[in-house]
Amino acid sequence: MPTHVFPTMGTMVSLAVAGGPVPGAGLARLTALFTAWDDRYSLYRPASELSRIASGELSLLDASDHLRDSYRIALDWRDRTDGDFSPHRPDGVLDLSGVVKALAMAEAAAALLADGFTDWSLDVGGDILVHGDATPGQPWVVGIVDPDDRSALLTAIELDAARPALATSGSAERGDHIWRARRAADEGFRQVSVRAADIVTADVLATTIVAGGPAALDRVTERWPVDVATVSPSGEIRMTPGMRAAMERAATTSSQPPAAR
Amino acid sequence: MKTRAVLGSIFASASVLVIGWQAGASAAHSAEALTSTGSTGSTTASTATGSGTASTPSSTTSSSPSSTGSASTGGSTASTTKTYTGNVIDTQWGTVQVEIKVKAGKITDVVALKLTDVGGRSVEISNYAAPILRQEVLAAQSANVAAVGGATYTTDGYLQSVQSAIDKAGL
Repeated sequence: MPTHVFPTMGTMVSLAVAGGPVPGAGLARLTALFTAWDDRYSLYRPASELSRIASGELSLLDASDHLRDSYRIALDWRDRTDGDFSPHRPDGVLDLSGVVKALAMAEAAAALLADGFTDWSLDVGGDILVHGDATPGQPWVVGIVDPDDRSALLTAIELDAARPALATSGSAERGDHIWRARRAADEGFRQVSVRAADIVTADVLATTIVAGGPAALDRVTERWPVDVATVSPSGEIRMTPGMRAAMERAATTSSQPPAAR
Repeated sequence: MKTRAVLGSIFASASVLVIGWQAGASAAHSAEALTSTGSTGSTTASTATGSGTASTPSSTTSSSPSSTGSASTGGSTASTTKTYTGNVIDTQWGTVQVEIKVKAGKITDVVALKLTDVGGRSVEISNYAAPILRQEVLAAQSANVAAVGGATYTTDGYLQSVQSAIDKAGL
């Protein structure tokens, strides 16, 4: 199946499209879309709008509507997660990377659909959003990486129309974007994957559980219609019943002869 | 050997999964029955430790005798599935009670019966993230996947990731 790969936001985009490749113009639009988000929100770019706010050069009051909308979304998630998710670093710097990548992915998904592409899998740096089928009648099956071996899979799960988004956060990865609101190191998780109806919810809640530990895991599964898989520091795997079912469906799907691609 | 590995992985997570049997004698007996096809010293030891730390309300006694009984009589029956109910125990995760199903000496399922989180609230079992067996996970590892999820990799890290291999295969 045609796969498009390009770098953005300090990571890689991998877009697998069932049925046919995205033409150059469509790809250029997608690339530009991610670049625009990166230009505005990257703290690695001194000239980005967010960097100028971090340095004090620009006041939030004078910031663009776009940035303030993202900030509002992040603050809303902070409140809904009792502060486990936070857009503020311990040093007070506003860091919106916890929501920006997912918001960019959601916009990219809308752009793909507007261009008439209905069957695709979009992976941006390990967060995945799919639409439609991998092959006619066959849902997308995606892997979750083994935190002990980034070149191997821990398991595989199915994504479907009800919950097409899978986000994974880790406690010892790049992206110091998880600011631990509470000390949960001893009983925390090395890796948390959340399967949800939309990628922003999945991404934020994966971050929330890594930051908040087991107590946050219970709160999240109690409040939100999501599936969760966690890996503890000792390698123990936990899954909610929904995630376990998605894993079992992935195993069944993969045992069937692969359809022509 | 496989059975031993599975049982080992189960009892390794004893703080959550431990089956807390009522008394020392029955604990030893039950552990023996559970691990009869692949018992190891460490497996038995971790079971015993778990039993020792279990705080067992006497109100749960009613669930134990039947399961202990079936353990002593059905330990080596190959074809039937036996269900064993653990006692309510306190762990760092909160209060936990589990039930395990054993068939032909292998644990085939672990079901959470009663859970309370660290804050003391009861947790909906239908949503609870329960430990799962490594062998179940292994079954899905060979899946033909379109993409790989993981904590964000950098552009450099991408080259070492399984995602890059999949992308090459797709090109």
